[in-house]
Amino acid sequence: MSDGELAIPFRQRAGSALKDAFLQEALTIATTKFIDLRREAFEDFPEGEALRDRARAIKEATRQRLDHYLEALIANIERLGGHVHYAKTSEEARAIVVDIARRTGARMAVKSKSMATEEIHLNEALEHAGITPVETDLGEYIIQLAHERPSHIIAPAIHKTKGQVADLFGREFKRRVEADPEVLTKIARDELREKFLQADLGITGANFAVADTGTVVLVTNEGNGRMVTSLPRVHVAVMGVEKVVPSLTDLMVFLAILAKSATGQKLSVYTTLVRGPRRAEELEGPDEFHLVLLDNGRIAQLGGPLREALSCLRCGACLNVCPVYQQIGGHAYGYTYPGPIGILLTAMLEGPRSVRDLAHASSLCGACADACPVRIDIPRMLIALRREVDEKKIAPWVERVAFTLLARLLTRPALYRLAARSGRVLQRPFASEGTISRLPVFLNDWTRTRDLPAVAARTFQERWAAEQGRTQ
Amino acid sequence: MTTKGEFLASIRAQMRTARDLFPASVAKRPEHPAAEADTIRRELAERWPAILERFRVEFERVGGVFYRVTSLDEVPAVVGRLAREREARGLVAWHAAALGADLAPALEARGLDVHEMPAGETAAAERERLRAITAGADVGLTGVDLAVAETGTLILVSGAGRPRSTSLLPPCHIAVFDRTALVESLGQVGVFLEAWHRDGAPPATGAVITFITGPSRTADIELTLTRGVHGPKEVHAIFVEQGIRG
Amino acid sequence: MTGRGRASLMVTCLADLFFPEVGMAIVRLLRRLGVVVDVPPSQTCCGLPLFNSGYHAEAAAVARRTVALFKDSEHVVVPSGSCAWMIKHEYPGLLTETGLAREARDVAARTHEFSQFLVRVLGVTEFTSAVPGRVTYHDSCHLLRGLHESQSPRTLLDSLRGAEFVALPGADECCGFGGSFAVRLPEVSSQILAKKLANVEATGAGCLVACDAGCLMQMSGGLKRRKARMRALHLAELLDGSRP
Repeated sequence: MSDGELAIPFRQRAGSALKDAFLQEALTIATTKFIDLRREAFEDFPEGEALRDRARAIKEATRQRLDHYLEALIANIERLGGHVHYAKTSEEARAIVVDIARRTGARMAVKSKSMATEEIHLNEALEHAGITPVETDLGEYIIQLAHERPSHIIAPAIHKTKGQVADLFGREFKRRVEADPEVLTKIARDELREKFLQADLGITGANFAVADTGTVVLVTNEGNGRMVTSLPRVHVAVMGVEKVVPSLTDLMVFLAILAKSATGQKLSVYTTLVRGPRRAEELEGPDEFHLVLLDNGRIAQLGGPLREALSCLRCGACLNVCPVYQQIGGHAYGYTYPGPIGILLTAMLEGPRSVRDLAHASSLCGACADACPVRIDIPRMLIALRREVDEKKIAPWVERVAFTLLARLLTRPALYRLAARSGRVLQRPFASEGTISRLPVFLNDWTRTRDLPAVAARTFQERWAAEQGRTQ
Repeated sequence: MTTKGEFLASIRAQMRTARDLFPASVAKRPEHPAAEADTIRRELAERWPAILERFRVEFERVGGVFYRVTSLDEVPAVVGRLAREREARGLVAWHAAALGADLAPALEARGLDVHEMPAGETAAAERERLRAITAGADVGLTGVDLAVAETGTLILVSGAGRPRSTSLLPPCHIAVFDRTALVESLGQVGVFLEAWHRDGAPPATGAVITFITGPSRTADIELTLTRGVHGPKEVHAIFVEQGIRG
Repeated sequence: MTGRGRASLMVTCLADLFFPEVGMAIVRLLRRLGVVVDVPPSQTCCGLPLFNSGYHAEAAAVARRTVALFKDSEHVVVPSGSCAWMIKHEYPGLLTETGLAREARDVAARTHEFSQFLVRVLGVTEFTSAVPGRVTYHDSCHLLRGLHESQSPRTLLDSLRGAEFVALPGADECCGFGGSFAVRLPEVSSQILAKKLANVEATGAGCLVACDAGCLMQMSGGLKRRKARMRALHLAELLDGSRP
């Protein structure tokens, strides 16, 4: 999201999303469908729970020897004739990819869906350098035409109706286009097939990289991942360091649960295991293979409070079950990654100031942790972020004062009782038959849409004390 | 630019101060994966009909079309019929050595333009030409290295005479396999992958191993499922009871 | 009736201030079952609102107080899943470095949410409903996912005499309360509530039951605003057949 848009407070962005009727319907349909598909997939899969535990453990075990596994990965890729690059920041990552593109004389790059390349804003950098990036995942292609960012981790264009897509394609191809998904898909297929065959450079992310063998793994459905890694003469994969897995045996544990969590499929249509560039006896494949290892705030979390968030497989399951995401969609969050895990990743990439409001965009219901294939305890880390925001005085001072007062009240029973008595007095103009329907100014945040019970004429403890014949 | 040394140093620095979240270990790799793969093979050989049936169910569930023939000579008839139904003429195929059989003559006899992919190293210009032929072909004919019953997946290893594009560019992909390709589960796939990489002979020595689970698909527009986005719109699997290699 | 031991009631701030009848219902009910009930005086809060908003030092101070209040209790019964979760799940960690670490773990072990106390500790499941007709049940998030408790309330509601228990679609979906969330993002909170109430109303029940005062405040607030006939009650009120 642009800085201009981020200047609009989160609560307001959320409010706009709530009023967007198209978006509301799209969100209901999409999240309900994904939830049902995921549930069916796991109902049919009794080994699933044990595999989730194993997957969680493998991610933590990998982190415990991350340097070792990365060194093995690097050695294996280089042995196969690939090149490994090291990007501490987004800026460096962009520069590395642009440099490779320039050096290899690429004028057009086809891209397979990659949240990592979204995260580093790669497309803008390529365009500035005179290289045309072409998104080939249908959802990404749609939002590229619309000049938007993805609104869901795995279904980037779910906020768009088929009518909106038809309009987009119509404007792009200067002809009337039928609002039928089959027709729209065929248009994209034909248009992009040409691009795959002509492109000099293929850019992907990577779902996993196997340390033991130097294999980079792409999990896709459309076939563009296969095209992008086979047809252009140069392939660049951008990957967060946390995606490394030790062995092929470990890989299978993740493959068994990833697609099920994301879309309810047992496996995605294509799982592509790439080991370096084309072999001499092959007809296709890149002459050059590059892996860009991305830090961008990840490494600091090895010793930080968001360490567990590094387990994320980018499946999107937490988005679908989140009551907040279900209501506001992805764009309102304002950053590359939306939803529950998105808040943690935003903090990781952009620092605590970026989540001053986002850390509270959660009722802490825990549905995300339940749905997460690797059992990331997202609510625990949201609370840790809130704590950081308070301790670093990023939270507004009014709020910090209010909570300090609350703390005092809760540790001094006399003050607590005084507060109850004061509340009883102050509420008189507003309370009727034990209910408050309206409160003045900011206190109306509750009562605009809900009644509030009045402070009881006698609190429980007052009644109890009276019955015990004691005075408080 | 950050060097490898600097990058790894920053990781090590963090690891020194980091606290483990809980005791954890990675998956146990098979010590002798090739031997274990052989054991799996022998064990599966006794139960192949049930495993094949499970494969069929899962393959069809993801939109694949399954055929069963007794002998290899029945395969061209199935392919020919599929081609006729689609008014297809151009067919690209894995090299006979990769397929395990030379089906080109029989297919040509049925009126198909068959382009068999070469097995050895090829010059760049020739590779371009073959790619254009493949892109224009209606059908791609391949073998199968592993057919996974649990998920209905076909696993293909790239290499000499078995290019990636044969199962990717033409809109109709036909794969021919026999019981030697059958495995039950993803876990067993893992054993085979370990064997291929560590102490066994992989089916081929190309850079890519592709798991294909049904035809190309997307639901990116209003969650409406459409097939054949970039990859094939159809995937057919022909099982040869008596085996492919004589 | 044979004695069923002693229990201390931790009434919780929300029930104390806004729903004292819930506390009274629990006391009556437990006494009828032969439990000797006491209420340690000068209770305030478990500290969850402070904890959830990240004020952990402050939450620890409240935790210290609460542990001191309940350290001699045989059982601590809490009418709220979220407060019970706070004590059981977070108190030990908050007080690790203090002199009360062991007491915190002890109190945590002896703390039970109300429905858990009835079913898992007392083994009592049969009650007569205070309200006839259809009742439905909403799983509060902390009780369901924090304390892994979905069965005890359902056991009680299934065996309820004089009422018909119907399942709530999306019972495990959040009501939108979330503590300060309800007033930080009131529009989102209200929309989440609207979805919950649509499900609730679709059950045709006359009574909605929950085991958490926060959820009840949110859902009852919404029901009252739309002048719904349906009432939202705490489980204790429903089981306490002496209420009209």
